[in-house]
Amino acid sequence: MLTIFIYTFLSGILAVTFDLIFGFTGQLSMFHPAVFGLSAYVTHLLVLHARLPFWLATLPAAAAAVALAIVVGSICFKFRLKTFYFAVVTLAFAEMLRLIIVNWNSVTNGTLGLVVSGKPTIWWPGTGLVAIRGPVAWYYLTLAALGATVLICARVLASWMGRAFGAIRLNEDLARTLGINVFRYKLVSFAIGNALASFAGGLYGYYTGYIDPGYLSINQSMEVLAMVLLGGQGTLTGPVVGSFVLTALPHVIDLRAEARAILYGAILIFTILVMPRGVVGTLRAWRMRRAA
Amino acid sequence: MLSLVAGQVLNGAIVGSMYGIIALGITLTFGITGIVNFALGEFMMIGAYATFALAERGGLPYPVAVVPAALIAAAAGYVCNKAFFRFTRGNLVNGLLVSIGLISVFESAVLWYWSATPIEMHYVLPGALRLGDVSLPKMKLLVFAVIVVVIALTYAALAGTWLGRASFAYAQNAEAATLMGVHTERLVTAVMLYSTGLAGLGGALYASLYSLEPSLGGVYVLKGMEAAILGGIGSLMGSLWGGVILGVIEAVGSIFLPTAFRDAYGLAVLVAILLFRPAGLFGDES
Repeated sequence: MLTIFIYTFLSGILAVTFDLIFGFTGQLSMFHPAVFGLSAYVTHLLVLHARLPFWLATLPAAAAAVALAIVVGSICFKFRLKTFYFAVVTLAFAEMLRLIIVNWNSVTNGTLGLVVSGKPTIWWPGTGLVAIRGPVAWYYLTLAALGATVLICARVLASWMGRAFGAIRLNEDLARTLGINVFRYKLVSFAIGNALASFAGGLYGYYTGYIDPGYLSINQSMEVLAMVLLGGQGTLTGPVVGSFVLTALPHVIDLRAEARAILYGAILIFTILVMPRGVVGTLRAWRMRRAA
Repeated sequence: MLSLVAGQVLNGAIVGSMYGIIALGITLTFGITGIVNFALGEFMMIGAYATFALAERGGLPYPVAVVPAALIAAAAGYVCNKAFFRFTRGNLVNGLLVSIGLISVFESAVLWYWSATPIEMHYVLPGALRLGDVSLPKMKLLVFAVIVVVIALTYAALAGTWLGRASFAYAQNAEAATLMGVHTERLVTAVMLYSTGLAGLGGALYASLYSLEPSLGGVYVLKGMEAAILGGIGSLMGSLWGGVILGVIEAVGSIFLPTAFRDAYGLAVLVAILLFRPAGLFGDES
């Protein structure tokens, strides 16, 4: 039972940060799982080979995510790629990254993936450094990580940057004439989203104890998109709701794997048809109608 | 060496024509309905498995089985359009989400019934033609020819006819087209039927060449999308050329560069084209 929540929180981080780029800034990025998977690998490899402690290793991973985001983002935004085209180009870069990881056998062990045996440690009063083991400890760790992510995103969105993001989403040309540096703020949004997503990658690898190139797959990208749309794009609670629905529901109902996937698809289709703006978006509209 | 390259170019063109038939469906649906039907690959998979069921289990001769297989895929497309896509028209991301749901449903349903073990059909048309040092299986040539003819016929049917002009008008401005007497609901239904039927036909042809897996659609819809963008969204013949070019790049690229990265060569070219010619190779610049 706790596992469902842990997975919800981990994918919630991905979904919230994706929504920062997609729901708030209006850029349909398909690069998210690439950063997620890459940082899972980088974090683990740094712990393994450079003997860094887990928390220290997440920082170079995040730096790598930011560097990649700046390269990919600059290319896309410089050429003013929009909606579908932006999605395809980011998807192309994500696929190239995945192919490199699949084929770099000596480092990544190819399609077989890597087994992660360690656990991150935490300083605890009285006992000193303890490894985070067991569902309860992971529950609180991932909950804290999700909380921190949501807080950071909320801070960013409440600032001048958040308003610039909104302006870009609603009307890019108008934003430009108002003196907003569209290129810079798109890049900032893309970089922040990817940097935060990279922490989810490191944690995910250490929670499951296993990293493989599937982390970077297109399906993963679709899943994150589904969570955000289902919960409600352009909100911070929506992605978490979406990630809970898509993680929990198929597991709560005891079915064989194929039936579970069918159920998953059916949930997606029907929610989006009944609530085109997602669960949270629909609730919000309903509340506003009642207040009016 | 030369014959190796020539052989790979031909092979790439044949695989590429498969990408092209999916690309045609993507271009048509996106142009008319504003939806990227990401589930087209699943209709291809349905067509492929239907062909297998009809030909191997049902005992129909292969050339006969192809037609009902494409029709089954089109029927599935019709149902999906009436039940789901109708409500997401003009909304790119919600349409995408419905496609993702459909992929999950179709793929696991087929997985349930047929399991993940690859299935192979018997040789439909054995033998090969020899062209110098290059040998070409007859079936591959036949498939290539069928696809080229189908795409060319589609182009002929839409260029210069009332139906074609109506579609273009609808794609440009749906409201104005309705006022001019275009029956839009029928047009959209026809496009969904046709694009899913095409994908089904692509799957039926695929079944005669390669082994079938429930996940085959995923690869082809991606390649089809790449091909559609490469050729230029909205350009019908562009989708064929885009597919062929993509197939040839992948095939020739893997002679000179590591084969493991063959998917990346097409993507790299695609990114370059999108950056410098966003409308695609054969697309309308405006």
